[in-house]
Amino acid sequence: MSSPFTALLESLSRQRGVRASLIVSENDGLVVDANLRFGQDGDRVAALAASMYRKARMSASAARLGAVGFLQLDAERGRICAVGGRGDLVIVVVAEPAANVGLIRVELLKALDSLT
Amino acid sequence: MADDIHGWSEELARDPSSLVFLQLGEALRRQGQLEVALKIALRGLERHPRHAEAHDLVARIAVDRRDFARAVEEWETVLRISPSHLGAMKGLGYISFQQGRFNDAERFLNEASAGGAGTDVDAALETVRRSSGSIPVPRVGDDPAPDPQRLFADILLDAGQTALLLDANGYVMGGLYLDGDGNDLGQEIGAQLSGISDEVVRATRHLDIGEWRSILFETHAAVVAMAPAADGSLLVVAASKATPLGLLRRLLDRCAQRAAEWLGAGGSR
Repeated sequence: MSSPFTALLESLSRQRGVRASLIVSENDGLVVDANLRFGQDGDRVAALAASMYRKARMSASAARLGAVGFLQLDAERGRICAVGGRGDLVIVVVAEPAANVGLIRVELLKALDSLT
Repeated sequence: MADDIHGWSEELARDPSSLVFLQLGEALRRQGQLEVALKIALRGLERHPRHAEAHDLVARIAVDRRDFARAVEEWETVLRISPSHLGAMKGLGYISFQQGRFNDAERFLNEASAGGAGTDVDAALETVRRSSGSIPVPRVGDDPAPDPQRLFADILLDAGQTALLLDANGYVMGGLYLDGDGNDLGQEIGAQLSGISDEVVRATRHLDIGEWRSILFETHAAVVAMAPAADGSLLVVAASKATPLGLLRRLLDRCAQRAAEWLGAGGSR
């Protein structure tokens, strides 16, 4: 089944090192659409990524740094990148540690533009 | 506040020459809507080019946008129009301090203090005096222990860059974050940002991607990077929006190394 976001998510998932791409509602942490590998728990990724993004947004706002756009988390065995800040939707990518995050960022920002 | 903003916006729409743009711009600035605030302030300035408070507003917005060159320009204009303007003196004192020009910082803050600026300026003045030439830039192994507020001073490259080392409870252990009025916001900023790390730990644990190494995010006003440090502490580095993310990562790495050395030496170096 395809959705208005299918092409966008497929484009993100074609980037080298990307394991999953999702569109998530920041407010409730639910998956709007996702491109996942077999066996991945999209609901869990969505809830955690949305929660992390929301916390960053609220903390930055309280610190008077303005709205959050791109966010990148690096861990030992993976990376999470997210963009939002234009309404409720956040686009999330889960990637390998060796993925080219600069390229992923550019693609995420392009994808965000196409959402709005 | 939303009602106030709405009311001021309507008043300004009815009368574009109204001075209400000062309140509207300041309210938007405090809400972090810096681009809108700047637009309002600049439109007001076009109609009131000799109004000191209008230039002061633009300067404060510029500081929040980490555009320190513009802030200096505006506050210098304020002092030409109104030589005893305390806000401009405090602002120029703050930027001079951030740029390591301690004599200038002390001069501006002295003038502000003499003009009755209040206890916050006296505290800022004390910080400047402690940080001025009498105390050398710290290096690991130096003795006696330097001011923890200057822990990252020699690593940061320009006035728009800031670094804080927070303990596990979000309290500041080292570094400094001053606002446009010379107030140290480190504790407030630290408390707000340290909450992110709890969320990050939760996410990495549940997603089974190992220990987190850093988080980086871009906001309207700044780019911010954070990394875990020893004993549950947290390093926060912020820089102007214009700072390339790769450079920010390098700054974070260098500050993390400094923090590790400092903590390893018992927090006194």
